[in-house]
Amino acid sequence: LPPQVSVINTVDTSHEDMIHDAQMDYYGTRLATCSSDRSVKIFDVRNGGQILIADLRGHEGPVWQVAWAHPMYGNILASCSYDRKVIVWKEENGTWEKTYEYTGHDSSVNSVCWAPHDYGLILACGSSDGAISLLSYTGDGQWEVKKISNAHTIGCNAVSWAPAVVPGSLIEQPSGQKPNYIKRFASGGCDNLVKIWKEEDGQWKEEQKLEAHSDWVRDVAWAPSIGLPTSTIASCSQDGRVFIWTCDDASGNSWSPKLLHKFNDVVWHVSWSITANILAVSGGDNKVTLWKESVDGLWACISDVNKGQGGVSAITEGQQNEQ
Amino acid sequence: MKLKEIERTAAQAWSPANNHPIYLATGTSAQQLDASFSTNATLEIFEVDFRDPSLDLKQKGTLPASNRFHKLIWGNFGNGSPESSGVIIGGGDNGVLTMYSVHRILASKSEPVIGQTEKHSGPVRALDFNPFQSNLLASGANDSEIFIWDLNNFSVPMTPGAKSQPHEDISVVSWNRQVQHILSSAHPSGKAVVWDLRKNEPIIKVSDHSNRMHCSGMAWHPEVATQLVLSSEDDRLPVIQIWDLRFATSPLSQLEGHTRGVLSVSWCQADPELLLSSAKDNRILCWNPNMGEVVYELPIRSQWCFDVQWCPRNPSVFSAATFDGWINIYSVMGGNLEAQQKTQADKISSSFNNLDPFGTGQILPPLQVPEQVAQTTLIPPLKKPPKWIRRPVGVSFAFGGKLITFGLTKAPGQQMQQTYPHQVFISQVTTETEFLLRSRELQMALQSGNLLDYCQGKIQTAKLPFDENLWNFLKVNLEQESRSKLLKLLGYSKEDLQKKITSCLSNGIPDKQPLPEANETNAAQPDQLLINSSDAVAAVSSSAFFDNLIPQNISTLEIPVTEDTDGLISQALLLGNFESAVELCMQAERFADAIILAIAGGENLLRETQKHYFAKQKTKLSVLLSSIVQQKWQDIVCTCNLQSWKEALAILLTYSKHEDYTQLCDMLGARLESEGDAGLSNDACLCYISSGNVERLVECWVKNHETSSPLALQDLIEKVMVLNRSIEMLQGTAGPAPGPVLAERITQYASLLASQGCLAAAMDYLPRSSKELLIEQLRDRLFHAQGANVGDQQPPPFPYTRVNVGVIKHTSPAAKGGSAPEGAASKTGPRHPEKPNYQSSFAPSAPSQPSVPSLFTPQPVPAMSMTPHHVTPPQASTGPQTGVYSRGSPYPQYNLGLVPAAISGQGLLYLQRTSQLSERLGSSETSSSSNCCCMSTDIKHI
Repeated sequence: LPPQVSVINTVDTSHEDMIHDAQMDYYGTRLATCSSDRSVKIFDVRNGGQILIADLRGHEGPVWQVAWAHPMYGNILASCSYDRKVIVWKEENGTWEKTYEYTGHDSSVNSVCWAPHDYGLILACGSSDGAISLLSYTGDGQWEVKKISNAHTIGCNAVSWAPAVVPGSLIEQPSGQKPNYIKRFASGGCDNLVKIWKEEDGQWKEEQKLEAHSDWVRDVAWAPSIGLPTSTIASCSQDGRVFIWTCDDASGNSWSPKLLHKFNDVVWHVSWSITANILAVSGGDNKVTLWKESVDGLWACISDVNKGQGGVSAITEGQQNEQ
Repeated sequence: MKLKEIERTAAQAWSPANNHPIYLATGTSAQQLDASFSTNATLEIFEVDFRDPSLDLKQKGTLPASNRFHKLIWGNFGNGSPESSGVIIGGGDNGVLTMYSVHRILASKSEPVIGQTEKHSGPVRALDFNPFQSNLLASGANDSEIFIWDLNNFSVPMTPGAKSQPHEDISVVSWNRQVQHILSSAHPSGKAVVWDLRKNEPIIKVSDHSNRMHCSGMAWHPEVATQLVLSSEDDRLPVIQIWDLRFATSPLSQLEGHTRGVLSVSWCQADPELLLSSAKDNRILCWNPNMGEVVYELPIRSQWCFDVQWCPRNPSVFSAATFDGWINIYSVMGGNLEAQQKTQADKISSSFNNLDPFGTGQILPPLQVPEQVAQTTLIPPLKKPPKWIRRPVGVSFAFGGKLITFGLTKAPGQQMQQTYPHQVFISQVTTETEFLLRSRELQMALQSGNLLDYCQGKIQTAKLPFDENLWNFLKVNLEQESRSKLLKLLGYSKEDLQKKITSCLSNGIPDKQPLPEANETNAAQPDQLLINSSDAVAAVSSSAFFDNLIPQNISTLEIPVTEDTDGLISQALLLGNFESAVELCMQAERFADAIILAIAGGENLLRETQKHYFAKQKTKLSVLLSSIVQQKWQDIVCTCNLQSWKEALAILLTYSKHEDYTQLCDMLGARLESEGDAGLSNDACLCYISSGNVERLVECWVKNHETSSPLALQDLIEKVMVLNRSIEMLQGTAGPAPGPVLAERITQYASLLASQGCLAAAMDYLPRSSKELLIEQLRDRLFHAQGANVGDQQPPPFPYTRVNVGVIKHTSPAAKGGSAPEGAASKTGPRHPEKPNYQSSFAPSAPSQPSVPSLFTPQPVPAMSMTPHHVTPPQASTGPQTGVYSRGSPYPQYNLGLVPAAISGQGLLYLQRTSQLSERLGSSETSSSSNCCCMSTDIKHI
């Protein structure tokens, strides 16, 4: 039986301009969308419904991305915009309000991503000014800002955190002591690079520079941990290529790329399934494709989703070769 | 912000859009002389590497040129071959056009000039490659002279038609971006001429008749075929006019912002709403031609920029060549230049030798970059978000196998007219169809309770003997009289034994015991070895043993009182000194006498005598006998040859009490497992199934089987669920809460089900009783994900420590000191939801899973060298104390079908008595293999 992708809910967002991002919360019950119409909207989509529960105004430019925080911090949504601002929104007694606004970037903020909840509430933001900011909530309404300048020349397009990993994780930490997390995230930018950043002694340092793309890296996605020692990152680019980067050693030093596919158009977005075995790829050719790694390590396209119809055409041998 | 800079007074050309890496070619400018008055000309190629944050360009090729350059252009011609990077065409004085091979320049090869012509008259200032046919080049020079060149035949040019009158210099030629046979030329007089190459004549002349336009630049609209812009160099009319050929009597609009004449324009190919211009007012502006507004401005420089060019490959980047002899590369995305400014200052300082250029011994003070400079370097980005940054499509996964998609529904390229769709689609993705099928089967079996059929199905479809075996064990666990059935699975059927014994007794006992060597060579029965013995089967030998115990040749009573052993024994007996009598018998190796006397002498003496007997008597059978008689089950488990694990398990099944039984099975399993051999580990799994220890089964299983793939995980969970159910049936209550290893797999399994959209089913697998964090977290997520479907249930407790974000009105201790999130993070503990047990080298000694209920903590198995067929004496006091087998104790619940073996020494009788066993499994096999000396059937043959 072929894999199936069937539309179960079509949400009419009533955005007045191009939609740039749509993300579900932790439970998959609420949908946040953002648009060039400068708004962020939140819908309750439980049981196939679509109830608008918030229309958040505050940005003065196109809103590029939204990101839900883990529910242990309450109902928190971050958004970033061409207006150079990052806004953290919070629901309190059914009302959504701005709880924090960060204006430290000099250009468009293109990507926001929350760190694994174990680290505390930390938001990474990538900007066209080439910098990456790390905003950490320190309690009582206070946020601490760390900034990596010149992370990517001409701009950073995407940030994505590594799943929480502790060295020798089976060793139980002494109770009351903070686990010694190794914090890492990946970023992609207009210098065609994917970079991996690691926190050492409270400072963020460039750990790896991954070179394979020949044009802007549009998106990076660090795969969720599925209990294997391998780390995996997917990256996609203006050059139409999608690479899967893997690193088997614990030190995180030897990354090797594998070309998933070369598309004929820019690839805008890559997203891993929660169980990390499927990669969704969205490109300028107006198609969404789903990819899965076979036992022998080859990536195969398992379905081809046409937006609007949501139907799946089973991938035949010939099509696969063509791709 | 400024990205790169190089000090050159030069014409410039970017490499084409498909070229990677990005290069910039510079050729010494013909119009300007620097202070050296040198007329040498150089063509150089630089790599523009944005990975390198420094301002430097890397020179990749250089070449002395015969002519200085009015215009430089880089085309794709010849790019078919992999090593080619196209050609550069230079327009020089005296009508010289030179064609260079980029590859030859970069590789420093000979003859980089691959074509040269002097057909033009005067300087060649206008050049353009046809965007559709890379071999077609247009050039313009003096006297209204325009040529079309086919680079495949560079000697003979064509003309687009008759020269326009009056003759004047051609400042720009440009091919239409949409229609390949349309070319336009711009003339200093202010008019533009549009040529149709199919008709070989000018089709329209564009001029506003003001006579003040002095055309310096011209560009076609990147997407609208009929539109073009003209820029005016005249200081009295420093404008950019937008023309539409459909309405060619006056410009559509006029971009007015420069205060002096415009020197160059460049239209962004990636976004038609971005048009760059440079002018004699020292400004570089970026316009939105549709709105007529300036969307970006580069701070005023000290010198004119005579040429601006968008980088074809990197749409945020443009280069600007100025008359003060610099080529600078900028990004329109804004940003801060401070860092670069500083490096530039440092570079200047360092070029003076060691900051002490005059050898005075005084180090120059560090250069203070004036603050004013730092302020002006903060350039705001484009007011209008450029098209290339606006992501039009997207996809993201969400919990429960949901896929969120949105974006274009029309073909790209027609975006100008399109209205953007405002729908977002939520789809359900199911990929593991076979997994789902099997998962549903399991769910149905568990719900209906008809697990026996389920097991039977599994047995029939099992591909591997081991798998079949395992399912047999699991099935038997669900049945009544499971212990005896397990025995039968191990190859020990009580009925068969009875038959054998009966036949044996009626035929008489064989005169000779078969020799061990003889049996070892018997290849057909390699696995029938009993505890530490390659010899005959225990039961038969046991009966012989009992036979031998019967005193023989008793005639008349004679009481010797001599001084020999007989006499001393008699005397001791006469005095009632059983201890001494027994001792004497033992010394004389008259064991039967000793035992008989010991029975009369009381329980203690009997026990002592047995102990002495077993200490003295070292036959292959004695260890077994001693273990059984003295109830040292643990000795058997700890010392048996692992190849005889089945026999050891059989003994446990037959004799041990329930409390000890599970523990001993687990010990046996642990021993098998610790060997690290895959086959023995599989056997260990059977032991754990027998003991009903789900956690250990899973631990052992995951060491030897991959469980990451959905079907492999399904394999494991099927077994776990069936075993769990059998335990529930036996105990009448829910099974124990899963330990950490099982919890991880269960969570994995439920996550997998959830990822396929089966949220309710996933929830069913997560035991409510479990306090494992992983399980609690997934339960919470599944509960809320199901929305109203579980509305009547109480939500599970939130398995995280909540952190309040925002200003807290009532000060709470948790929020003080600015460490609330970190503190909370540590409270959630060093548990790692998805961190697996990589290093699970099995250590039975480590009590690392204290949360496993109802299990003993395994003790270290004594390390001993186990040589096959060699008897190692039982080590009495190692390991935990085995419980003393109390007589008549109520038989454990577990062993529903069996009558308790009241007296340990009566094992055989017990076996005979309880031989009414169900014959549903393996009975034909065992009966067919019934043979006097063989009772054990290779378990693999079941």
